Amino acid sequence: MSAANEPFYLRYYSGHSGRFGHEFLEFDFRVLGDGRSATARYANNSNYRNDSLIRKEMCVSSLVIDEIKRIIKDSEIMKEDDEKWPTKNKDGKQELEIRLGNDHISFETAKIGSINDVTDSADPEGLRVFYYLVQDLKALVFSLIALHFKIKPI
Amino acid sequence: MGDDMEVDDAPLSPQQEQEEGAPAASGGTNSSKVAAMQTHTKATAVRSIEGWIVMVTNVHEEADEEAIQDKFGEFGEIKNLHLNLDRRSGYVKGYALIEYPTLEEARAAIDGAHETKLLDQTIQVDFAFVRPPPGKTGGGGRAGTGGGGGGRNGPGNRNRGGRSRSRSPVGRDD
Repeated sequence: MSAANEPFYLRYYSGHSGRFGHEFLEFDFRVLGDGRSATARYANNSNYRNDSLIRKEMCVSSLVIDEIKRIIKDSEIMKEDDEKWPTKNKDGKQELEIRLGNDHISFETAKIGSINDVTDSADPEGLRVFYYLVQDLKALVFSLIALHFKIKPI
Repeated sequence: MGDDMEVDDAPLSPQQEQEEGAPAASGGTNSSKVAAMQTHTKATAVRSIEGWIVMVTNVHEEADEEAIQDKFGEFGEIKNLHLNLDRRSGYVKGYALIEYPTLEEARAAIDGAHETKLLDQTIQVDFAFVRPPPGKTGGGGRAGTGGGGGGRNGPGNRNRGGRSRSRSPVGRDD
């Protein structure tokens, strides 16, 4: 188990501005003071069919944070670099920021439509790590929200 | 169920007593209930909309829903189970989220299954959701985050219309 007082922050954003305005999904986790808990925030704005902004905030236990840290460490994302990743474009961008102990990453890249975008990129191995980590983190966040608030994200 | 519930005798720290007195606790929260709501790291669990959510970690990658049901069904009625898969390998990612209708069932699962074996791996079990510590009610914008992208904090994007986030559901403690 990781040290409870190890600094930890995670933020993911994916969005674009287009015909339906600024549409995005964002979540973050921030460990509070003594490490016994962390706030998790989620926002999803889709203007399609007049959907409106959804914002949720919850406080998760240290076991949930330990698991997120474990998933991040196992992925080895902290060893990657976004230098050769596709840059944001008219279809939008994704951002991933993680502070874990003494390590800090802040990546920005284009949206990834399918695994082909990963395979065809200049850094398929690094981008693959990012691609699957984001999916795994989203799955965890969506489960937490679905169970806590009984809403279906997206 | 709940009869053989292990109650933590540790006296409450001043901070925890403060938490108990917080407005979130809607009446009648006695000390044994507070003990039952305590996580391993002494945070206080909160109820979700329809029950109590328990997190299980170090779940074997070949575990399936039946294995979880077999182990955790004995503590109470599992209303919901999320056993997410690793998107790359297709095996279990390593955690499970279980919903029990009552605090007693969730407590029994935590006391009865924490640090026990499931398919040869020692699992950790605790509440997933807790009360925010006093005085820290989240929010605070994006203070301290570097590298935020240009453009998206532009006019009308964040805090549009001043709508606030909905808070965790509070109030019921059954």
